[in-house]
Amino acid sequence: MKLAYLQHEHHEFRDAAADAMADAQLQGVLGRLADTLGVRNREAWEDFADSAATRERARRIKDATLADLDKHLETLERSVTRLGGRVHWCDDGAAAREAILGILRQCGAKKIVKSKSMTTEEIHLNPALVEAGIETVETDFGEYIIQVAGHRPSHIVGPALHLNAKQVAEVLSPVAGETLSSDREELTRFARRALRSKFAEADAGITGVNFAVAETGTIVLVSNEGNARFTTALPRVHIAIMGMEKVIPRLADLPVFLKVLARGATGQKLSVYTSLITGPRRMGELDGPEEFHLVILDNGRSRILGGPLRESLFCIRCGACLNACPIYRNVGGHAYGGTYSGPIGAVLTPLYDGLSQNHHLPHASSLCGACQAACPVKIQIPEMLIRLREQLHHEPRALGRVERWAYGIWARAMRSPRLYRAGTWLATRTLGRLKRSTRWLTKLPGGLGGWTRTRDFPAPAERRFRDWWSAGAGDWGLGAGEGASPASKEPFDHA
Amino acid sequence: MSREAYLARVRDATQAGRAYRIEPRGEVTPTTGYVGGGDDLCARFAAEANAVGGTAVVVRSFDEARAELAKVLRARRAESAFVWRHDVLDRLGLAGLLAELSVAALDPGALAKMPRDTRRATILTADIGITSADYGIAETGTLAMFARPEQPRLASLAPPCHVAILERRQILPDLFDLFAALDEAGTTAGAPHKVPSNLTFITGPSKTGDIELQLTTGVHGPGDWRVIVVDG
Ligand code: SF4
Repeated sequence: MKLAYLQHEHHEFRDAAADAMADAQLQGVLGRLADTLGVRNREAWEDFADSAATRERARRIKDATLADLDKHLETLERSVTRLGGRVHWCDDGAAAREAILGILRQCGAKKIVKSKSMTTEEIHLNPALVEAGIETVETDFGEYIIQVAGHRPSHIVGPALHLNAKQVAEVLSPVAGETLSSDREELTRFARRALRSKFAEADAGITGVNFAVAETGTIVLVSNEGNARFTTALPRVHIAIMGMEKVIPRLADLPVFLKVLARGATGQKLSVYTSLITGPRRMGELDGPEEFHLVILDNGRSRILGGPLRESLFCIRCGACLNACPIYRNVGGHAYGGTYSGPIGAVLTPLYDGLSQNHHLPHASSLCGACQAACPVKIQIPEMLIRLREQLHHEPRALGRVERWAYGIWARAMRSPRLYRAGTWLATRTLGRLKRSTRWLTKLPGGLGGWTRTRDFPAPAERRFRDWWSAGAGDWGLGAGEGASPASKEPFDHA
Repeated sequence: MSREAYLARVRDATQAGRAYRIEPRGEVTPTTGYVGGGDDLCARFAAEANAVGGTAVVVRSFDEARAELAKVLRARRAESAFVWRHDVLDRLGLAGLLAELSVAALDPGALAKMPRDTRRATILTADIGITSADYGIAETGTLAMFARPEQPRLASLAPPCHVAILERRQILPDLFDLFAALDEAGTTAGAPHKVPSNLTFITGPSKTGDIELQLTTGVHGPGDWRVIVVDG
């Protein structure tokens, strides 16, 4: 795939998707997704007797929390502060970057370690840290690989999914100062060694937040590798950053989410490590940070909270919808061009970064519903995509001229029986007549050609339904007006 | 933007958003999602811990547990052990066993006396971590570890091998039971300082699937994860 797509955001979805589909190596990796993570996720729901109700329970907790979000956030702040932590309210990415740089400057941090956080991707934190002269090391193995390679993450839980072992070896060998083989164990051993020294030297650790418990000020971090634990055990300062929708009211709500998150992400009953961090280390403890900061980010969330796509804030970033999606499994994460990819990315990127710049994304879906079926909080992604498609028509810049013109005519025709009749008459006598030999048109003319570039267009019938109907309902002997006799219904009765 | 302006905006959005609340579907109760651990919690715990790539054994006595641990220490040729102070480990006679096998014991007391940098280096090079846990969870084969001065977080993380010794009475059926226990201990509403500074659930050896979705263990934490359950 073109380097520009791997490195930068916001490109033309169709071009990037075509590029991804022509990349044999990438197609090989994506082809395995359904049989691995996809199957494990499905089996996890099947094996969990209470799965449907538990997911509904998680969903309701999210809904109820958002219905009182301001109160829960204030409770969270109180709890964190009581423990000696500090809360930073940040309106947007720039404010969050500024707050984090401020904390680092104040504690004189020169080197930091990070554990995987999509929120820091969202606010483009790493370039800002590097620019400020702070050595920044990603410690999740996948994140580490793509940081060295200079790529953006291609999957919410598997950021380096687009690279195979050979490519990983090529990426890491210059850092190792020797030629690494493409043996997975060897590559993993190298990362363990290289990152150990980074943990030991770091002045501060930066993490995301999976859940934040308001009543206790507890930050929950889930990982399988253990890097989040190191990041919060060794450095003197811990900075956690969360989108404000990550708060949950009570500690008692947590087991519900932990059970569905692990099943959605990797099909595990529980992830390997779940850490509940409640403030800085206490008196006499040997490890853990001495200082704790919590950055609470809005960055467009309050705008979405008050509107019809509020449900997108239920997302717990597990990645299940990506693995389930036939589009994602063909084009991969980079084609989407935003921080988040896959079905949920197709909702979030237009919402956060602008609909007209990302007008292809709501259409990057067959609306098959596999995403919603896989989702641990059953987010109605297809419905949200339809809503976004509808909104596109109110954004004049978002549609091509031909498209706008075509939809305009369609809308007029649907409102007027006379126009509609004329239109169908015309269609059967032009396209229908021309292509009598085939049921599918493989190439439409002019500006309509975009449709047939990747799929065929069904040819109109030679005869309109309306004509067939008024001519006495064809060969089945159905009466046009009065009810038909029971016997004549036969062809429709498949029972 | 000030804190007040930020929160005012959230308040407005929260209110506006109530018009878009979801429609509840189906029954949900406070026990929805509870799975439990079956009749034999020790056996279930061990089966689950083995299923996630760990090595769990159930033994009848502390003598057997000691023999089991000695086997591991010998097989790994351990020279130093990063250990917790914990009454289960006292009853096991851990200090005696380590002395007998000439394994250097790095306990919290000894570590606390070291300068910060020496301590870090020592912790990061220990051959094995030996701990108990606050609870085991049978449903998932999970250890629940509360951080305290005598029970540092890194003992279960830094060494390449972690062994936990667990007694039957510590094992709860389900994750929900643990949160209920926390609640009973008064650790929730309005008392954040009663929750430990760090409570970590461990379910299996350290894992990654970051290369080609294939499982590799031991990337950051222990690749060799063992639990000895004393059922006696
Ligand atoms: S939308 Fe659902 S399935 Fe997709 S990442 Fe979010 S929580 Fe997971």
